[in-house]
Amino acid sequence: MLRFLGLVALGALIGCLAALAAMGFVGAVIWLNDLLLISPRGRMMFAHPEALAIATVVVPTLGGLVVGQLHRAIREGRPHTPADVIAAVQTRRGRLPARAGLLSALSGLVSLGSGASVGQYGPLVHMGASLGSLGANLLRLGRSDDNVAIAAGVAAAIAAAFHAPLAGIVFAHEVVLRHYALRAFAPVAAAAIAGHVVATHTLARGALFHVTDTAVPHPWEFAAFLLIGGVGALVAGAYMHAILAVGRWAARLPLAPPLRPALAGAALGLVALWVPDILGMGQETLRFATIQGAFGSLDLVIVLVLKLAATALCIGMGFGGGVFSPALVIGTLFGALCGSWVTQAGFAGDTFVFYAVCGMVAVTAPVIGAPLTTLLIVFELTGSYVLTTAALASVTLASPIAAQLFGRSLFDTQLARRGLDLSAGRSRALLQSARLKDLISQDCVTLGPGTSVDEAVATLSASGHGEAYRVNERHCYRGSVMLADLEVMRGRGQGRLDVSECRDTPRPVLDPEASIWEAMHHPQDVAGEAIVVADDRAGGVFRGVVYEASITRAYMQHSEALQREEHGTG
Amino acid sequence: MGRGKRAIIRAAIVLLLMLPAASGSAAEAEPLDILSWGGAYERAQRRALFAPFTAATGIPVRVHRYNGSLARIRQAVTSGEVPWDVIDMQRSRGRTACAEGLLEPLSPDLLTPSPQGTPAVRDFIDGAFSPCAITHSVFATVVAYRRDAFPGQRPTEIGDLFDQQRFPGPRALQRDPAVNLEWALLSYGVPEQEIYRLLSTRRGLSLALRRLQRLDNLQWWEAGDTPVRLLAEKRVVMASGYNGRFFDAMVNRGLPIEILWDGQVQEHETWAIPRGAEQAESARKFIRFATATERQAALARLIPYGPSRRSATRQVTTHPDSGVDMRLHIPTHPLNAERAVTKDDSWYAHTHERISEYFNAALPHDAPAAGETPPATPEAPAAP
Repeated sequence: MLRFLGLVALGALIGCLAALAAMGFVGAVIWLNDLLLISPRGRMMFAHPEALAIATVVVPTLGGLVVGQLHRAIREGRPHTPADVIAAVQTRRGRLPARAGLLSALSGLVSLGSGASVGQYGPLVHMGASLGSLGANLLRLGRSDDNVAIAAGVAAAIAAAFHAPLAGIVFAHEVVLRHYALRAFAPVAAAAIAGHVVATHTLARGALFHVTDTAVPHPWEFAAFLLIGGVGALVAGAYMHAILAVGRWAARLPLAPPLRPALAGAALGLVALWVPDILGMGQETLRFATIQGAFGSLDLVIVLVLKLAATALCIGMGFGGGVFSPALVIGTLFGALCGSWVTQAGFAGDTFVFYAVCGMVAVTAPVIGAPLTTLLIVFELTGSYVLTTAALASVTLASPIAAQLFGRSLFDTQLARRGLDLSAGRSRALLQSARLKDLISQDCVTLGPGTSVDEAVATLSASGHGEAYRVNERHCYRGSVMLADLEVMRGRGQGRLDVSECRDTPRPVLDPEASIWEAMHHPQDVAGEAIVVADDRAGGVFRGVVYEASITRAYMQHSEALQREEHGTG
Repeated sequence: MGRGKRAIIRAAIVLLLMLPAASGSAAEAEPLDILSWGGAYERAQRRALFAPFTAATGIPVRVHRYNGSLARIRQAVTSGEVPWDVIDMQRSRGRTACAEGLLEPLSPDLLTPSPQGTPAVRDFIDGAFSPCAITHSVFATVVAYRRDAFPGQRPTEIGDLFDQQRFPGPRALQRDPAVNLEWALLSYGVPEQEIYRLLSTRRGLSLALRRLQRLDNLQWWEAGDTPVRLLAEKRVVMASGYNGRFFDAMVNRGLPIEILWDGQVQEHETWAIPRGAEQAESARKFIRFATATERQAALARLIPYGPSRRSATRQVTTHPDSGVDMRLHIPTHPLNAERAVTKDDSWYAHTHERISEYFNAALPHDAPAAGETPPATPEAPAAP
């Protein structure tokens, strides 16, 4: 009980810190944007058009250079994102690296500050998660508590950045933890509340967007909202595909990775000379998209396509930053486009903003894989129940269609490409990430070169094993022999022969870095007592064997740990 | 309750202690020179601030007048002969003067807490403190309409200024982008916090100008007394103008007009001390005295300017002579300030010229309203 209350208190503390860090980050981005002539306000207050044009191209380019250098100091050579947080929590690895977390936050700050078309919520979420993990680490808490602490940091960051504590709590459960254990709920809720209080009472900042006095849509318009959801899923798919495609394409580019963001920055700046709306997070563009008549239909298409392309370019080429804010902008532009068509057709009255918001959720929810969070953000930011219902209609189709066509979220797709498949749930992910090397047993018989069949039978009989593993003089695995086959040879009077003459029995061979999940799938087609573990990178050196019993035991242990974590109450 | 009583007792003790000092220094006290705007405003200040200050401290006050221009202050400070100790100036001018080094730095530490004990930094409204100036009151540009023009439904929000179908009739607006652009964007439902960010884009500017271009029968005014006259002569049914002027027309001259507070654009009026002021110490004492809750409330009972202290706003009551409830007429009263925009001085300081060009190019150059006085200089007194 005391331990549980301690965890709640830790959640609240992490919430305060994460919220302060988040507010500091947001404030620093605004300050940098004004200073570096990225924000419209900063640009308007600067009176020299030529210098402004130069800055528009130079600032994102230099920002890209700095970001590229920062990424060199991270082991993976790329900024850490919410996907890394999800991976750490889903595989119960926890322990987010503090250094990479700090560098990723810096990279996000520089990217956003210099006007890259990326989002700020990704870095905020990762920063909150890193703070949470750091806290758990300092207190030497277990893996489950580490996960809860990470979720608490995430919830606080969202609660503070959006002024939406409920969305923060749901996001932490829906996207990061992916379970709703009461044990996790209390610390996460405490963090979200603390974050919200800190955000509203110490550093008041305007919310992301406000929608005032809304009309009530006609019943038939809900059908339109559903449809927007369906088509929005395709826009979301295009957005995610574009990001991944640019990433693949950039990898083939004959340009050192640290220089790629600078190239993206230069391209972004050049296009921004023509369409400045694509610079930065695009809060002004988002607001205009909710105003009927601010954009013409053609304008909407141009800005939508360019914003999508700019974001894919910036993220794919290696700028640090999130995918959520650009998705908000793209979705709202898409919704506004639908709204303007409906209006031109003479159907809609004053419900334009509904279309914009429906488009926004239809694109955003599939990208982050969080329909409930997105709905709650709409609800908490607008306080309008009618608007939330319309958004619900839109998300109803958007999330499943995108999940069918593309995957649960961009994060999951990125992780799947790194070898962590979350689509079949957490227990599989856990087994996929658990390494075989921890289960290796040395309790087995190895036969060196020159061993005779007689000697082999004697050794096997003495040790009580039914099979032995042949290795060469460099201890590399050569094959498996069964005691039965050796006995047959001895019976035929071939006891003097070398064991290499004996019939080989095929046995599964795996690398020590292979996952338990892979190992579990081998015994199904081969009956044998163990799996051979040989190190491929060391030229096939025999490391030992893994017995089926230890695989089963590991599976049971992981399942029990998961059950305790996901269904425990305290 | 107990805390309030204690505070009163404490204040009484302080006053008692101050009495001998005040009477002792009365004989040789140097007069304090205050530069202000003249007119009804100055009369109210004399009654609510200057006379009580002299009574409390024995320091006599000499009042000088100006039109808000920085030129004389600049000249005086460079020559080293500064004839004033305290200046009543607009916050935007205060910012400029401070940047030019014409003013003494002014810390909020010198201010008194509210009678309830709220520290000054929390009691004052947001943006009240700049490095060299402290906001003492807030005036607003608002829309006023003739009651008799809209016998049925009356305008309730700023969007109604642009809705000539529901509220037909000619309008009068100031020939300046400021305030008009803000109102135009507000009418689209843009939240007040985002107005200047959106006006910083070409899209935002053209969106706002489109609203203004679509107004039929629009007259532009330049001098502050014109909108009241146009309304009085029934030449327009809605006009923008300063809340003090409309109050005067409505209450003192009985004009059948009503103020639409929604979307009011507030500006700050501040106290500042010029660099090289001879009585800088007395000047600080005066600012401390004049910004106390009680004094601010007393001033707001005489003229409809909003006190910069929240505690003073709550204490405003009726006009001591006419009995008019002043709470309904001050811009900062919660009922009136529900959707108030604070004019972004620093944004205008950098952009006014370019935005004005854009504004003038986009809007038709109709002849000024008949009988209009020649264009006032941009430095003409705005508030009173």
